[in-house]
Amino acid sequence: MGIQEVTRGGAVPEYSNARKPDQTEGFQERLRQNMKYRGQGREDIAGTEAQAEKVKEKSGMGRIGAGPGIRVNSTALTDALQTVEVKHMSYEESDNVRIAVTEGYTLKGKIQAQEAQVYVEAKYEDGRLEAYQVDTKRVPEGTEHAIERFALETIGELKKEEEK
Amino acid sequence: MEQRWNYLVEEYQSMLYRIAFSNMKNRADAEDAVQEAFLRYMKDEKPIQNKEHEKAWLIRTTIHICLDILKSGWYQRTVAWNESFVSAKQNIYLPYQVKDDRTLEAVLQLPVHYRNPIYLFYYEDYTIHEIASVLNEKEATIKTRLRRGREEVEKILTEGRP
Repeated sequence: MGIQEVTRGGAVPEYSNARKPDQTEGFQERLRQNMKYRGQGREDIAGTEAQAEKVKEKSGMGRIGAGPGIRVNSTALTDALQTVEVKHMSYEESDNVRIAVTEGYTLKGKIQAQEAQVYVEAKYEDGRLEAYQVDTKRVPEGTEHAIERFALETIGELKKEEEK
Repeated sequence: MEQRWNYLVEEYQSMLYRIAFSNMKNRADAEDAVQEAFLRYMKDEKPIQNKEHEKAWLIRTTIHICLDILKSGWYQRTVAWNESFVSAKQNIYLPYQVKDDRTLEAVLQLPVHYRNPIYLFYYEDYTIHEIASVLNEKEATIKTRLRRGREEVEKILTEGRP
């Protein structure tokens, strides 16, 4: 193996770092323009964010059980809702069933011994199984939360049956 | 023998009938398929390990019988009397109330490789693992079919075509 010869070619810059006068002016000009439209840009961004929020609100994305690929994480849990161990309840054992093919999930609800408590089991398209205990007394009025709404619906179904 | 037959009918008839109906879309053919599945089960001594295995075997056989009937030359030359699931479900026991009949109708319009996983997952409450075992497919395949099947259902519901 021969000895590698090292030259100091790299020490000499291939290009000059010195800025040309028109380049500096161009930068200053762009900066001036940016500062000029700064306020307007912010308004635009704010508008986009507000629009995104509206779309989000309308589509229901980001809420539990409100769209395809729904995810329930700790931040989505509310005061009325807590995760519990999955009991593998069947449709026959459930008081209420929701089959949401287009949203990619199923929900099964059963009213617990203490009234107002509903056990909800969710099965998602990716195979995940999750269970929640919902205290319907603590569910805020007009909630948009899919699992809270389902728990209220389950209680409602029972009342309807009792009335019959 | 009679006791065994009664047990099978009592335990699985409703479920197998619904699965057969989702494939055949008419009552008479669905009933024939279920009866054939029971007969095959009774006729051959199957090395059945447990109840889950028994159930999976019966579902798989029922689906295969349905597909064989649908593929048969005789069936293709005749026009089947398609009934809607809504009318059929009045005559069979369903363990839950189907609130959205439109979606169910859309599911029944899906091609067979999407229809069976979707039907078993949502309407019979099977897990992906169980469906993979019943249909002899990988779990990843079932997950893909569930996702694509759902997209197809959305298309049918919005555009009115599969």
